[in-house]
Amino acid sequence: MITVRIRLFAQFREIFGGEVSLPLAPGSTVAGAVDGLVSRAPGGKKALLEDDGSIREFVVLMRNGKRIETNEAGTVPLADGDELAIFPPVAGG
Amino acid sequence: MRLGNTDMIKIQREDVDIGAMIAAAKERSMGAIVVFDGIVRDDNIDEMEVEAYEEVALRDMEEIRDEAVRKFHLHSVDIVHRVGSLAVGENILVIVVGAGHRQEGFEGCAYILERIKERAPFWKKEYRKDGARWVKGNLEH
Repeated sequence: MITVRIRLFAQFREIFGGEVSLPLAPGSTVAGAVDGLVSRAPGGKKALLEDDGSIREFVVLMRNGKRIETNEAGTVPLADGDELAIFPPVAGG
Repeated sequence: MRLGNTDMIKIQREDVDIGAMIAAAKERSMGAIVVFDGIVRDDNIDEMEVEAYEEVALRDMEEIRDEAVRKFHLHSVDIVHRVGSLAVGENILVIVVGAGHRQEGFEGCAYILERIKERAPFWKKEYRKDGARWVKGNLEH
């Protein structure tokens, strides 16, 4: 197994908590981590996934600080110790 | 440019002394210092909570600073973005830009502000008497 550190912000932090340590099978992708996360909190699935199970388009994903497009999340593998950040559109300034 | 990498890019809970930032930025080569001060507007809110993905937000603001310095030949850039609980009238974001001429200063400051709003990971939650809501984010991120 590998362990990925998931960090969540804003609305998603309120649903899942600010940080989740998620064990995954080796070779798991970013999309696999999101699938593993959503069942951990009530309302989690609706917050991050469309009805067909795809990641909602407005969700921002970053692997080790680098942006991953939601439609590519199924092809980006995760390694042990990776940090995956998940957050809604930004609203600073 | 100021000697060495003395530009200040910070995320902090505390308020910031804008006068001191201007005084620290001044150099003989500058003909203009442009200041942006973003403050909490009274939209019938009691307070605002600002949250950041700090490591990435700092990196983004440093990249934005570097882009703006190159693009507008700025002499200095200082940015302070606050996080935590802020009351109406408090400073949220302060940008102090030093330039040789006013046009570069104005354009550089506006560039930095718009890029921060566009891509730096900050979020705001407004607390009102009838409940709380997250400020709608920028879908272009």
